[in-house]
Amino acid sequence: MNWFLTRRRYILLVVLAALLLGASGCSGSGKPTSWTGITIVGERMYVADLEQARALNTEDSEPLWAFPKNPKEDGRGNFYVTPAVDEERVIVASQVPPSGFLGQPKNIVWALEADTGRELWRFDEAKGQYVEGGALGGGLFIIGNSDGNVYALDVERGELKWSFETGHRVWATPLIVEDTVYVGSMDHHLYALNLSNGGVQWDFQADGAFAGTPALSEGVLYIGAFDDKLHAVDAASGSELWSFSGKNWFWGGPVVYSDTVYAADVNGNVYAVDTTGHQVWYKALDVQVRAGPVLSEDGSELFIGSQDGILYALDTADGFKLWSVENKGQMLAPVVVDGETVYGTLIQGTYRILALHVDNGREIWTYPPVVEEE
Amino acid sequence: MYFLAYPFANVTLLLYTFLGHSTIAAIVVLTLVITLITLPLTLSQQKSSRKMQEFQPELQKLQKKYAKDKEKLAQEQMKLYKEAGVNPMQGCLPLLIQMPIWFGLIGAIKYCIPSTPLDLLQFSHHIYKWLPGITGLVPLQSTFLGMDLGQPPSSAQWWSYSLPVLVFITYWLQQKLMTPPTAPVSSDDKSQAGGMAQQMQMMQTTMPLMMMFFTLSYPTGLSIYFIISSLLRVVQYYFIKTNGAATGDKGKLQLKPRKQ
Repeated sequence: MNWFLTRRRYILLVVLAALLLGASGCSGSGKPTSWTGITIVGERMYVADLEQARALNTEDSEPLWAFPKNPKEDGRGNFYVTPAVDEERVIVASQVPPSGFLGQPKNIVWALEADTGRELWRFDEAKGQYVEGGALGGGLFIIGNSDGNVYALDVERGELKWSFETGHRVWATPLIVEDTVYVGSMDHHLYALNLSNGGVQWDFQADGAFAGTPALSEGVLYIGAFDDKLHAVDAASGSELWSFSGKNWFWGGPVVYSDTVYAADVNGNVYAVDTTGHQVWYKALDVQVRAGPVLSEDGSELFIGSQDGILYALDTADGFKLWSVENKGQMLAPVVVDGETVYGTLIQGTYRILALHVDNGREIWTYPPVVEEE
Repeated sequence: MYFLAYPFANVTLLLYTFLGHSTIAAIVVLTLVITLITLPLTLSQQKSSRKMQEFQPELQKLQKKYAKDKEKLAQEQMKLYKEAGVNPMQGCLPLLIQMPIWFGLIGAIKYCIPSTPLDLLQFSHHIYKWLPGITGLVPLQSTFLGMDLGQPPSSAQWWSYSLPVLVFITYWLQQKLMTPPTAPVSSDDKSQAGGMAQQMQMMQTTMPLMMMFFTLSYPTGLSIYFIISSLLRVVQYYFIKTNGAATGDKGKLQLKPRKQ
């Protein structure tokens, strides 16, 4: 007791040091800070799969290539964002954790050869994390960054062509339509920028941050915001046409099909709203949802992944739940539908990618494959 | 440890609403509120610390008297504490209570000015929507003097390294003022009193140094809290001193008469 009393300050100091170190992340925890994403082109799936970017065969998940080949030796950081793909290249981004106590994380955009995964170029000038993927158009790769900038890179060499500074982090994937880039920022603005030089055509201000990608249909942009509203904005002028109130933030982007806009808020409330802003139906899933909904190719089903790993298929006509599949992990990126298959990614789960039948949710494969214990 | 993070984050949002959407003003006022709430504990810590110092001559006497009987020495020391109405653990309590407050603040800054999307997503389900005007505020404006309050100091904003230095200076100043003066101790003084005095002197430097190193890996918003908090304690010290209250403990230590 006496020993404790005389040294109690030091004991407390050591306890405090250990707790603070743990809380600061110096304990070396490899917990993901964002989510992974997939893009499908033909029979290939490109995925930013945490420690590697990889290409898989969509039919059977057979690995085609991975970058870097040996992540433990050639550490390139964690790959999070949804890959952008054209005929020749796959563009992904990673965050390399800081090395040492005073080290800084590095945030890098990588262009890889689509056939082999060989590095073509890299861009490492951004100061913040890349959260969502970029978009390709007009020979440029456009991507937002947590440092508040939108970067436009030449796809051939990765040179910075222009950048546009917003007032806060940019966590949304831009939408490129002809010569315009539409991108939302956490500074509560949705910007329309010239694709060629980044000049502002117009900006629309909401009462909350924009973190999702807008959907464009017949000259109207539909986008949700952290003001709990789904906004319809005239794509030519940036003026608001109407807004629809949800129950919490709209993070993921909405989808539009046959004069109906489908969106989900982070509380798992799914809304079908007509193009005049009136609710068609509403479905409460009572789960936490980050990603926006995705439509089946025929527009009859709506797929929504949840933070607790459940993938839901809803009937687009009335929101009726057709099926749901539970997975271990968090499904935070939008799923991808290709033909009769829906693909999803998971973080902190037993597998990181899964392929299911759109009709009934039956599993086709998982990656890595789950080995059954005998 | 993070159980205070959501309440603190929501209070920060509310303050942000009423303070002209200024993140720095919200952090300063939150610090002021927390300092006022923890004021009785801080005063108790100072009082306890002062009393423990005043015990030193008595403790030294006991140590000499029972130099060869450690068990008896411990018993007599405990008796001494009891008679003076002092709980030797009392000095630790405020520090223990400050820990969840620090963690709460770390969490609040992490949620209000998130640097990762998963932090923001987690907070989206814990915003008190019934508080007026807080819908749509998150993430708060994070720039202050060109620094990102949601990120640790970085070479890209080299001046942000001044904050950990200021944390060191202000925390050292606070420690210096709050710690009662001790008699000079020689390095070969092996007595308990000498040991404690040496520890106190070392604490005055090691604790601020530790705080400085921690703030290097935490969002700069937390450094602002530590700086303001230390400055408020310095102001509080001078206020009490000039008003003659001297930590609420007037006069010297009074021991109850010992039963023979």
